[in-house]
Amino acid sequence: MGAQGKSSPWSMQFSTLTIVLIPVAIGVNYVGKLIAAALKLPLWLDSIGTVLAAMLAGPWVGAISGAANNVIFGLTADPISFWYLITSIAIGFVVGYMAFTGWVSSFGRAVGLGLIVGIVATVVSTPINVILWEGQTGNVWGDALYAYLVGSGWPIWLASFLDELVVDIPDKLATVIVSYLILRALPERLATLFAGGRDQVERL
Amino acid sequence: MAVVEVENLRYRYPRQTTLALDGVSFTAEPGEFVGIVGPNLSGKSTLCHALIGLVPHFYKGAIGGRVVVAGLDVHQTPVAEMSRRVGLVFQNPFTQITGAKLTVYEEVAFGLEYTGAPREEMAPRIEEALRLLGLWELRDRSPFALSGGQMQRLAIASVLAMRPQVLVLDEPTSQLDPAGTREVFDAAATLCRQGITVIMAEHKIELLAEHADRLLVLHQGRLVADGTPRDILTRAASRELPGEPAPAPPVTQAAASLDWRMPGGGFPVTLAEAVAVGRPIVERHSGVDSR
Amino acid sequence: MRVSLYVSADTWLHRLDPMTKLLMAATGVTLTFILTRTESAAVLLAIFLAALGTGRVLRQAASVFAGVGIVAATFLIVQGLVHPTNATPLIALGPVVLYTEGLLIGLRLALRLYNILSATLILVLATNPADLTEALVRRGAPARLGYVIMSVLQIIPTMVAQSAAITDAQRSRGMETEGSLWTRAKAFLPLMGPLVTSSLIATEERALALEVRGFGSTVRPTFLRAETRPPHAVPVRILCVLTLALGATGRWVLGW
Repeated sequence: MGAQGKSSPWSMQFSTLTIVLIPVAIGVNYVGKLIAAALKLPLWLDSIGTVLAAMLAGPWVGAISGAANNVIFGLTADPISFWYLITSIAIGFVVGYMAFTGWVSSFGRAVGLGLIVGIVATVVSTPINVILWEGQTGNVWGDALYAYLVGSGWPIWLASFLDELVVDIPDKLATVIVSYLILRALPERLATLFAGGRDQVERL
Repeated sequence: MAVVEVENLRYRYPRQTTLALDGVSFTAEPGEFVGIVGPNLSGKSTLCHALIGLVPHFYKGAIGGRVVVAGLDVHQTPVAEMSRRVGLVFQNPFTQITGAKLTVYEEVAFGLEYTGAPREEMAPRIEEALRLLGLWELRDRSPFALSGGQMQRLAIASVLAMRPQVLVLDEPTSQLDPAGTREVFDAAATLCRQGITVIMAEHKIELLAEHADRLLVLHQGRLVADGTPRDILTRAASRELPGEPAPAPPVTQAAASLDWRMPGGGFPVTLAEAVAVGRPIVERHSGVDSR
Repeated sequence: MRVSLYVSADTWLHRLDPMTKLLMAATGVTLTFILTRTESAAVLLAIFLAALGTGRVLRQAASVFAGVGIVAATFLIVQGLVHPTNATPLIALGPVVLYTEGLLIGLRLALRLYNILSATLILVLATNPADLTEALVRRGAPARLGYVIMSVLQIIPTMVAQSAAITDAQRSRGMETEGSLWTRAKAFLPLMGPLVTSSLIATEERALALEVRGFGSTVRPTFLRAETRPPHAVPVRILCVLTLALGATGRWVLGW
């Protein structure tokens, strides 16, 4: 990458601050999922932390938060989440890069970002679903659509894509909007601290 | 020879226009207990952070002047390297726990592990630090199961195991009850006697007056006074220092209003001193023997 | 509240070093994908269950198995209803017909699900996460990754406790957490926002505290504890490699 350190979102410098952000992001993912389940919302809302980490600290930290999230839950509590590692990484990359290029500058743009993230997540998850479970997602609503489509003679790939899409679009849209609202509410000082991570010290 | 040398230190945070520190200079000797006082936002925390290099390496911004601690130029040395010579303890006992260790004993080992200390050195250094801070009996507890005062002593033990020459404490008792506060001051005094330089920013002026060898007064990022507690508090009680309200403890203010002076000049700064100075005066005035 | 499913005990499985158990889990997952026929999958499941049983973690495993029961049932029903190869009706409930071909495929998917779970649980249920993390860092994994893993395991219980406190506080102020979908959805942000904001703000102090403990150091870390490996680790490792070889031979030479 030829871009100069400060202006490139792809710089791979991890400060202590960005490392500390990663466990917090994973905790936020977990609590989001927990609250969504407690409120009986038909959404997962389990990637708010990954999305916020990417918005604050860029695509690499977002991707690493996503990857660490699935690896840690895969190794400790939910072995299946390990397989959706790539989806989490993709979400981190996309949000981190697009946030850097101005996609969290307004509510309208955040909605657009949410739709894009939903599509990306679907595209990445579908092959995993097909390889592991003949294209099912394990989500009741999505799988009902899948059953109907396959029953009507649609190819498994397409049915699986739509199965994942009807679940992922609302989920990721809500995730990105919630993350955007929280980002706006953070103190300026914190945003400065994260944004300034790669700056040079001046001499007085 | 001074172990801390600060020379014309000036610092500005990123995206700010005013200086957080403006021309601060002082030195500290091995085994000295230096208190830093001043109102909120006077630059106390910034100065503490500057002694180990968090200012400027962590916060960035713009810096000028020179800070040399334990022979290392702080502006040229990474914080991880400085951490082996300077310990820093913060306000909030809870966020200082690394959150990555399961017992008090392992928590103290954290810094040693990350700075690559040889394993055979770890056990004696951890035990020494825990015993010195009175935490040896609690070594197998979870760090999160400690009281505020114990957690703060754990934070001190954790930096102490790295054998620093200078220990900086940034308002270490602001979230502690009186018992916890006493624990922290006693620990700091013990370390001073062992030759470690203690630099403590603190609001509890009575306790600093009792323990510190010297006080530095900060006001709007400038060092406006540097002297013995008696000298500083006498000037404060006489309204000679900027930054109202004066930071003198009530006992000094009361003595000043009565004009009770110590034999060597200046007002008493502790209750014991005030009693020693005041009793003969009271007895003379009342004309009775208190015994 | 705990994140990790690990419970300490003293069995042959618990005494094994983390790397050996990691090899066992990896072998198990690989075999699941090599031996895809229903009979082979069933044999594998029996082996994994035997390992979990002799390691005295079958009860914890059972609660994980029950947790994905609905997913497994969905596999059977959906595939039984609609798989493209369906031809032989097995059960007919009015207009709903479940076919033998689809049900067999659903059974294979369910077996695959349980095999992946069981193989992984051999590692997860009998290994202290701190030991596993340390073993990985010793072998060259970044020390900062070790920090992240350990920190997550401690941060989550803390955050869950805070979230419970916030939920109570918001409810006592009259926020509705039940009712229509829209009512419940509106409750999400007030429950989530304060927790996330305060956790993010705390990152600054936590980062400072780590910096002064030498966290940014570029030297390789050292470890408080010496690494130990029990005598039966070597035979178990050899057994893993042999089983893997046997599985591959079975699949591609003997046509299992």
